[in-house]
Amino acid sequence: MKKVFVVYATDNVGTAVLEPIQVGDHVSCNGERSDLEVIAQANIAYGHKIALMDIAAGDTVLKYGLSIGSASCEIKAGDHVHTHNVESNRGRGDLAERSAVATE
Amino acid sequence: MSEFMGYHRPNGDVGIRNHLLILSGTVYANGVCERVADTIHGAVPIVHANGRCQVAPDLRVTRRFLAGTAMNPNVGAVVIIDHFKEEGMTAEDLAADIAPTGKLIATVNIRGEGGFISAVEKATRYAQDFARQISLYRRAAAPMSQILFGTECGTSDTTSGLASNPANGLAGEILIAQGGRMLMAECTEWMGCENWLTEKAASPAVAEAIVAGVQHMEARALASGEDIRGSQPTGDNMAGGLTTIEEKSMGAVKKIGDSPIIEYLEIAEAPTRTEPGNYVMYGPGMGAESISSMAAAGCQVLTFCTGGGHTSNHPIMPTIKVTGNRGSYELMRDTVDVDVSGVFVDEITLAEAGRIVYDEVARVCNGYLTKSEALRDNNSFAIHRVGPSI
Repeated sequence: MKKVFVVYATDNVGTAVLEPIQVGDHVSCNGERSDLEVIAQANIAYGHKIALMDIAAGDTVLKYGLSIGSASCEIKAGDHVHTHNVESNRGRGDLAERSAVATE
Repeated sequence: MSEFMGYHRPNGDVGIRNHLLILSGTVYANGVCERVADTIHGAVPIVHANGRCQVAPDLRVTRRFLAGTAMNPNVGAVVIIDHFKEEGMTAEDLAADIAPTGKLIATVNIRGEGGFISAVEKATRYAQDFARQISLYRRAAAPMSQILFGTECGTSDTTSGLASNPANGLAGEILIAQGGRMLMAECTEWMGCENWLTEKAASPAVAEAIVAGVQHMEARALASGEDIRGSQPTGDNMAGGLTTIEEKSMGAVKKIGDSPIIEYLEIAEAPTRTEPGNYVMYGPGMGAESISSMAAAGCQVLTFCTGGGHTSNHPIMPTIKVTGNRGSYELMRDTVDVDVSGVFVDEITLAEAGRIVYDEVARVCNGYLTKSEALRDNNSFAIHRVGPSI
């Protein structure tokens, strides 16, 4: 049984700060969600995140009990959660009108 | 309340180091500064790319960085070198800013001395005299409340927000309980955590300033027309598992603990308040600019929390690297000072990790060299630009 670290009870992702995880590993949680268990659907490198439950496209990805972005596609429990399936909602100049930079 | 042994300056500040600074007023004085510093025992050159053809608001920020670095309590004496007369940025202008500290100051103008060779000679004679004078200064007891403790994170990974940063926040709380102050900058990395910070604000004005600071920095990112992910999180952040700026921010703000945020500062601006607690400063996530802004604000010591193992070290403000990633500590053993990764394997509690960080800070305040100081790897003086070169 491998373990990931979960910061807050409402989080839907855990972080592999204890050890890296291989596809097919049974994964349980240290920290705030000792009740949860998932099977890894991908290799999760040290420091990377795993989905603790299914997350629908557009739904909020939660860590520290707060939004770290939105799912850019459907994420299944046990999937690797990173830039390929999560989008930031802040500082997105590519989505904004161009505006002037203030100088001081 | 505990004490440390420091250098008492004429204006009441207490330094933890006793540096002789050879300060370049403009980019074109860098060569003279470096030659003088090569000759003189213990001299630290401060060189940079600024001081010429800057718009006024940008030049004012550069001047705050340069004068503030010399005003830092860790500096005992300063020789300032400029090459000609730049409006609002001469060696005399900088000397006037620094003078209220009462420390030893000399100025040399390269053109006024008749060129490089004569300027090097004159500045070297000043520097020799200052080096010998400050060598007589002795450490004496001072309360820990004199310490302005800067904190930074860089090359962060997901261990940062779970181990090194919260341990650092607890270390800050130990200092604050003794009357000290902690300073955090990098408002880019408050993005997504505004509420977490404003809940700690000591007044509505501080809370409003925090929100406005983040909005201003976000506007800079938006105005670039690019996705902030091109630069935040950085490539090394993402390799370490950090996915978005929001996730990075949530880890980053854990560098400070739960004490109230007393004051919001503009970049490189010294606090005007003296109450114990947290202080925050506007500025970019760029590490060298950020820690240089905190040195210019008067921080005597800085913890630099790093997941991947950062090399940053400021020339006059001892920079203690702290990691929660054991692999990085093993890999960068000559560079990273403190390993708190034991919190992940139940070797130590987070509270114990906080005490370990605080104890290292206290040792460094008493004169213990950081790993990067011992190596003289003074790589992190940089000035934040708020306008274009014209």
